[in-house]
Amino acid sequence: MNNYVKTALAVALSACTFSMAVAQDKVISVGLNGDIRSTDPGVNRDDNTDAVMMHIVEGLVAYREDTSVAPMLASAVAVSPDGLRYTFTLRDGVHFQNGQLLTAKDVQWTWQRYLDPKTQWRCLAEFDGRGAAKIVDVAAPDANTVVFTLDQANGLFLAAMARPDCAGSGILHPDSLAADGSWRAPIGTGPFTLGKWQKGQYVELERFKDYSSRAEATADGYTGNKQAFVDKVRFEVIPDSASAKAALLSGGVDLLPDVTAMDAAQLKQVKNLQVQVSPIMTISGLLFQTRDPLLKDVRIRRAVALSLDYSQMVAALSDGLSMVNNSIIPTASPYYDSTAHQGYTYNLDEARRLLKEAGYRGEKIRMLVNKRYPQMFDMGLLSQAMTQAAGLNIEMETLEWGTQLERYQTGSYQMMSFSYSGRFDAAQSYESVIGDKDKEPRKVWDNPEALAILREAQREVDPAKRRPLFDQLHRLMLKDVPMVVIYNGTAIGAMGKRVEGYRSWPVAKPRLWGVKLADTSK
Amino acid sequence: MNLKTPALPGVAAIPPRRRRRYPPLNALIGGGLLAALVLLALLGVVWTPYDPLKLDLLSRLHAPNAVHWLGTDEFGRDVFSRLIIGARTSLWISLLSVSVAVVCGTLIGMLAGYLRGWTDRILMMLNDALLAFPGILMALGIMAIVGASQYGIVLALGIAYTPSVVRVVRGSVLSLRELEFIEASRVIGNSELYTMFRHITPNCLAPLCVLATSMFGWALLSESALSFLGLGVPPPAATWGSMLSASRTYISNAPWLGIFPGIFISLTLLAINLFGDALRDRLDPRMRK
Amino acid sequence: MFRFISHRLGMAVPTLLLISVIVFALIRLIPGDPALLMLGDMADPQSLADMRSSLGLDHSVVTQYLIWIKSVLSGDLGVSISSRQPVLDLLVERFSVSATVVLVAVLLATLLAVPVGLLAAWKQNSAMDLGLVGTATLLLSVPSFWLGLLLLYVFGIQLGWLPVIGYVGFGSDPMKALTYVVLPIVTLTLVEFGAIARMARASTIEVLRLEYIAHARAKGLSEGAVLWKHALRNAFAPTWTLIGLILGNLLGGIAVLETVFTLPGIGRLMVDAIFSRDYPVLQGCLLLITCIYVLVNLLVDLLYPLFDPRVKL
Repeated sequence: MNNYVKTALAVALSACTFSMAVAQDKVISVGLNGDIRSTDPGVNRDDNTDAVMMHIVEGLVAYREDTSVAPMLASAVAVSPDGLRYTFTLRDGVHFQNGQLLTAKDVQWTWQRYLDPKTQWRCLAEFDGRGAAKIVDVAAPDANTVVFTLDQANGLFLAAMARPDCAGSGILHPDSLAADGSWRAPIGTGPFTLGKWQKGQYVELERFKDYSSRAEATADGYTGNKQAFVDKVRFEVIPDSASAKAALLSGGVDLLPDVTAMDAAQLKQVKNLQVQVSPIMTISGLLFQTRDPLLKDVRIRRAVALSLDYSQMVAALSDGLSMVNNSIIPTASPYYDSTAHQGYTYNLDEARRLLKEAGYRGEKIRMLVNKRYPQMFDMGLLSQAMTQAAGLNIEMETLEWGTQLERYQTGSYQMMSFSYSGRFDAAQSYESVIGDKDKEPRKVWDNPEALAILREAQREVDPAKRRPLFDQLHRLMLKDVPMVVIYNGTAIGAMGKRVEGYRSWPVAKPRLWGVKLADTSK
Repeated sequence: MNLKTPALPGVAAIPPRRRRRYPPLNALIGGGLLAALVLLALLGVVWTPYDPLKLDLLSRLHAPNAVHWLGTDEFGRDVFSRLIIGARTSLWISLLSVSVAVVCGTLIGMLAGYLRGWTDRILMMLNDALLAFPGILMALGIMAIVGASQYGIVLALGIAYTPSVVRVVRGSVLSLRELEFIEASRVIGNSELYTMFRHITPNCLAPLCVLATSMFGWALLSESALSFLGLGVPPPAATWGSMLSASRTYISNAPWLGIFPGIFISLTLLAINLFGDALRDRLDPRMRK
Repeated sequence: MFRFISHRLGMAVPTLLLISVIVFALIRLIPGDPALLMLGDMADPQSLADMRSSLGLDHSVVTQYLIWIKSVLSGDLGVSISSRQPVLDLLVERFSVSATVVLVAVLLATLLAVPVGLLAAWKQNSAMDLGLVGTATLLLSVPSFWLGLLLLYVFGIQLGWLPVIGYVGFGSDPMKALTYVVLPIVTLTLVEFGAIARMARASTIEVLRLEYIAHARAKGLSEGAVLWKHALRNAFAPTWTLIGLILGNLLGGIAVLETVFTLPGIGRLMVDAIFSRDYPVLQGCLLLITCIYVLVNLLVDLLYPLFDPRVKL
C-alpha cells in the first residue's frame, strides 16, 4: 500500500511539474477530421496528411494565395523557349531542419527518389510519361542550380509540381531515410518540425527555430514569408464533426479549419468565436450519364438544368457563403471571367416545354447520393424537390460512399449528386470531366471537340492564350449539358478569439505559420 | 408460504390472495402505449399536421412553438409530422425484419431439430458462426452491398436475428419430438412433414412469440443504430433513427431535434418490454431466458 | 474439466474458419475497394492500378485468402491499409480501450443491479418493488446512444464539467484519463443495470418460492441470512448467463457509444474499416471478436456450476 501511494504521489507530482513547464509554450490545437496516414510526404497520404506535411516540407515552387504558381525554395525559374528545359536557381542560405544547408544535390536526390517507382510517389504518373509530360533528366550543374528536362512542352508542369497532394514535391534531406533506405522521419525546410505522433489521437509539430524564411513581408499562400509564431501546433484527431464542434465550444480545441456552412452560421453568433471564410476550388453539381437511354436526350438534361432555382439552392446549401457557379472553373480561379459567369437561367416553362418535346412521360430517374458528405446529400434532396415542379420524376437512391465511388468510376448511374475535390488549374478542372468514355468510363463529358481544345490548353504555357480556350470550353459545356455545376465550396475556419492571423484560402488547407495566440488567461 | 404457483419471471406476480381476472398492470400499460403508437402511425397514413416532406427553407431550426409543436428541422420540416410518419416506417421495418427472421429461423430450426444427424450438425455450426458475428457489422456489410434502402435494412436485420430464432425453435422441437403424441401421429401414418407442421409448430409458438416481441425491440434499436453510423433508411422516408442521427450536428443549438425522436423510441421500447413481459408470463411461465 | 475445455476450444476452430471465410467473402462483395477510396475522384486508371498492386489486391480472391491464412497462422495479421499500422498492434490498442469501458461498466452494473434485484424480489409487489422494476425497465428501454448524447449535452456542453472529445490513455495521465471515460461508463452502466436487475429479481423470486427456502426460514435463519446464503447463489446463475451474453454482444454493439463519445475503441475501428474497406483490419477484428465470444461463452459455462450445483459440466 505504501509503495502504491508513493508511486501515485510521484505520478501526480511529475504531472504537475510537466504541465507547468509546458504552460510556457504557446500551443495551438487544431481539429483534424482524420488521422494522418504517414509522415512520408506524397507517399501514403490523404488530405489530412498533406495538410500536416505542408508545414514540414517545402518544394521548389508553391501556390500563391490566388492559386497562381510562384517560386518557393527557388529564387527564380527560367523556362527555355521550346518549353523543354526548366532552370531553377535556389535561394541562398536555406537550412534543413537538421542544420544542413540546402544544395542542388539535395533537390536532385529528392526528385530521383520521387521518380523511382519503388517509392510509390502519388504524382509519379504526372511526370513519368503517363501524364502530361515526362521528366527526362534532373541535373545539378552547380550547387545552386537545378535543371529539369522534359520530353514535351507542358503548361501544367509547375502547377503539378506545386500540388499539395504531392506535398508540393517537398525537398527532403537524405537523412530522412535510414541507412537501409527505409523511411525514418521527414527532414524538410519548412517552418515546423515533426514532434510527437500519437496514432489515432494527435500529431504535434514544433516550431523550427532556425527557419530560413523568404524575404517578403508576409506569407502568400504556400510561399512568401512563412515565419511561425506559435511554439507548437497540436493537430487533434476528431473524426466526428458534432464532437469537433462541441470541442470548439468548450475550448478543447482552438481552431477548426473546416466547419460546415450551417455550423458557421451558428458559431458566428457565439461570443468567444470568430469565423473565417474563403471560396475553394471544389466543384459540386449533378452528373448525368449521357449514354443512358433516357438521359442521352440533351433536352431532358437541359430541362433539369433549367428547373433548378440556383440562387435559392446555393443560399441554402452554403448558408449564403457561396455564389452560384455553372462553370467548371471555380470562382476563385484567375481564369474565372465574364464568360464563365454565364450559366443556366431558372425557367420552369421552358423546362416543361423541353420535356414535352422530348416525349418524357414521367419515367423514373434515379439519382445517387450518399450520407457521408452532407452537402452532396442535401444538394440531391433540394434538386429532387425543385425538379418535381417541372414534372421530372427523380428518385434518390442513397448509397454508401465507397459504393457510390465505384459507380462513378464505372459510369453505372443515371444521375448522381457529386463533388470534385479541388483542382488548382482550370485545365485540371476540365480534365476531370472530359474524356473518352470507352477508355475512362468515369469521365462525364465525351466530346472529341472539347477534348481537342483541352489538350491545347494543357500544352499552352501563356495564360493570355489559354483564357479564350477555356471560354470556348465553357460555352460548349453549356450547350451539351453533360453535367450541371451548381457551386463551389467554401473553407470555413472557426476559431477562438485569441487566434490571430489565421486565414482560410482557396487551397483549403490550414496554415499555422503567421498565426499568433493572443495573451489571455486560459 | 403458498407454493402453488411458481414465480413468473420479470414481472410483479399476482399474489395468491388477489385473484382478479383482468390483465396485469404491465400488459395494460405496455399494450396501451403500443396501441397508441400504432394508431398514431396509421393516422399518419392519412393525415399529419404538416407535410413532413415539404421543405421550408425560411423556417429552419425553429424551437417548439404554437405553430410547430415540436419545432422544425434543418430543412424547415415539421418535426412532429416527421415523427408520425417515422413511426410508420420504423415500426414497419421492425415488423418486417422480425417476420423475415421468424420465417427463416423457424424453417431452419425445424429442419435441424427434427432431422438431427448431419443436417443438424452443419446447420448448427453455421448458426453459431452467424451468432458470433457482430450483428452491426453484418448489417453494415449487407447494406453496403445491397444499398441503403428499406428492404436492405430488413434483409440485413432479418439475417442477423435468424440464428436466435433457429436456436429457440430447434430447442422446442428437440423437447417436443419425443413426446407421445408425435409418436402417435407417425404411427397413424402421417408424413414427417405433416407431423412437423401440424403438431410441432403450434407448440413452438409460445417461446417464439416471446422472442419475437424482444426482437421487435432490438430491430427498432438496430435501425436507429445503423442510421447513427451512417447507413440509415434514405429519404424521403423518415425514420426515428435517421432523425436522431441527423440531430447530432445541431445538438447545441437545436436540442429538440434529438430529444423527441429519442423519447419516442424509448416509449416504444418501454411499451414493447412491458407488453413482452406480460406476454411471457401468460404464455410460458416456466421459461427462463 | 480439462476435456471439457479442450473439446470446446476444438469446436471453436471450425467456427473461426467459417467466420473467416464469411468475412473475407462478404467484405470483398461490397462495391468499391480501398484503392478507389484512397484516391477518390482523382482515381485515373494508372494510379488505381498502381495502388491496387501495392495493396496486394491484384491477386484472385482465393489466393488472397490463402496468403492471409498463412500469415495469420504465423502470427502476422497484416498491416492496416488506412494507417499502415500493424493490425495486431491496432487491435490490442483499441481493444484495451473498449474492454476497459465495457468491463468496468458491466462490473458496476452488476454490483448495483444484483442487490437491487434481490431487494425488489424480497419486497415483491410493494411500492418499492414496482418502483425499482419500473426504473429498471425504463433504463432498459432507453437507447444507449441517446442516453449518451443527453449526458454529453448536459455534462459536457451545458455544464462543461467533462471533456467532450478524445481520449487519454491511463498510462500517460490517469486523472485526465478518468474524465474521458466517466460518461461512457456511466451511460453503459445505466443501460445494462436495467437488464441485469430485472433478471436478478426474476430469478430470485423464483428461488424464494422453493421449498428449501421455506426450510431455511423454518430453521430460524434470519431473512438476511436466507437471502444472502441461499437465494443469492442460486439466483445468480441465470444472471451470470445474461452477463455473459451481454459481454459477448457488447463488443459488436459498442460502436455507437464510441462514436458518440469519440473513444478510440474497437467498435469504431470496425465501422471505420468497413467504410474505408480496410480489409486486413476488418478480418483481424472479426477474428478477435469471435475468439472473445467463444472464450466468454466458455467462461460462463465453466463457472456456471459454481452457482448452480445441479449442473455438472
